[in-house]
Amino acid sequence: MYNWKYSACAQSIISCHDCNGLWPLAMDGEHCPRCGAKLHQRKPQSLVRTWALLLTATFLLLPANLLPIMRVTMLGRGEPSTILAGVIELANHGLWVIAFVVLAASILIPVGKILALATLLLAIQRGWTTNMEQKMVMFRIVHWIGRWSMLDIFVVGILVALVQFGNLAYIDGQAGAIAFGGVVIFTMLAANALDTRLIWDRHLQEAPRGPNP
Amino acid sequence: MAPTINDMNRRLLRSISSPTFCYRNSEPHMPSSLNDTHLACHECDLLMGRPDVHEERILVCPRCGSRLISNHANSVERSLALALAGLILLIPANLFPVLTLEVLGREQDQTIFSSAMALYRGQLPLVALCILLFAIVVPICKLLLLAYLSSALHQEKAWPGLKLAMRSYQHLDQWGMLEVYLIAVLVSVVKLVDIARVEPGLGLYSLAALIVVTSLSSIHLDKDLFWHRIDRLTRRSTDV
Repeated sequence: MYNWKYSACAQSIISCHDCNGLWPLAMDGEHCPRCGAKLHQRKPQSLVRTWALLLTATFLLLPANLLPIMRVTMLGRGEPSTILAGVIELANHGLWVIAFVVLAASILIPVGKILALATLLLAIQRGWTTNMEQKMVMFRIVHWIGRWSMLDIFVVGILVALVQFGNLAYIDGQAGAIAFGGVVIFTMLAANALDTRLIWDRHLQEAPRGPNP
Repeated sequence: MAPTINDMNRRLLRSISSPTFCYRNSEPHMPSSLNDTHLACHECDLLMGRPDVHEERILVCPRCGSRLISNHANSVERSLALALAGLILLIPANLFPVLTLEVLGREQDQTIFSSAMALYRGQLPLVALCILLFAIVVPICKLLLLAYLSSALHQEKAWPGLKLAMRSYQHLDQWGMLEVYLIAVLVSVVKLVDIARVEPGLGLYSLAALIVVTSLSSIHLDKDLFWHRIDRLTRRSTDV
């Protein structure tokens, strides 16, 4: 099973990105007869695109965490609040579980995702060929969990819509929310741009006799 | 004469040395195509003979563990039922207020759409667009596409744009974030419950039901079966 010759690519077969249909390698660059997507042996420029999207997300991470994402005004007194301040406030109220959910969704997950994707990219480029299954599990977690970071953006939207009581109390959104939304979208795009088959290509070409030939 | 795709396929089939199995939907009169006998993992590119998939079985890649085929009884009809249920639930989930906040006798309603509009008015149009797309537009599009696809496959009619609809559905799948929105509602309730009275509305219950339906439809969708049947329908319509 762990052998380069078992992969479709090594047997001159392309599988379509969209419908998973199998076609001869000669059709590289043409459109898939079954679904109409363009056929590529591997996603074109996968590593460069993933790095670019990942770096964009990393740069956006700074304004996302330093700028306030919303401002709570009560009785005319405005108080901008960042993501971390919101978490601390929840924790001060003794709501540890919710505080942890927000902390995980808005700080731990985006940072963890960026680190995980960077590790996968380095593994492909440097040819680190250990722990293949763990790498795939890591990628699947990154891919699945990405959307949950949108939580904070939605919370801001709901609070802004609900708390509109003129001078008494109102909440409005701030620029940090744009940066934070950008982080989430760019990390999701980065995970989509990464072609996981590259991990296996490198591994199998360098170690033709794997643990389970 | 240049070799056709089928010639190339046949040559490839001869060169591949792995056992082949019959596929549940292959028709005897059709030329044996690579897609009916083989299967490649989309995450690690392992090529394997297509096993005979029985009802209620999930096929997992033996090398990397990704899910290759998830087969369920009456998959198309199930998807159709879930898509229609979802489309019905969309109406109350979007029209009725999700939460109502009461401060000193004044009430403020909130629907999914109004949370996007509030941000739009507050000089954050990009963030408003995020909410509008991920919590309203994408879920609606997903359900419409799924209803269109599964009714076409159920009636065995080659309606126009089936290929494009299936591709769009696959690309939109991860961008529908209703369940994230529901958790965001719960977090907001917790944040507000100290300062005011928060009442859940009919929209919240419909939203919860809608999430159950959309998650079930995503889990139960047998993409492999859908692609095979779309291929069969479109090929039959061009033959006639």
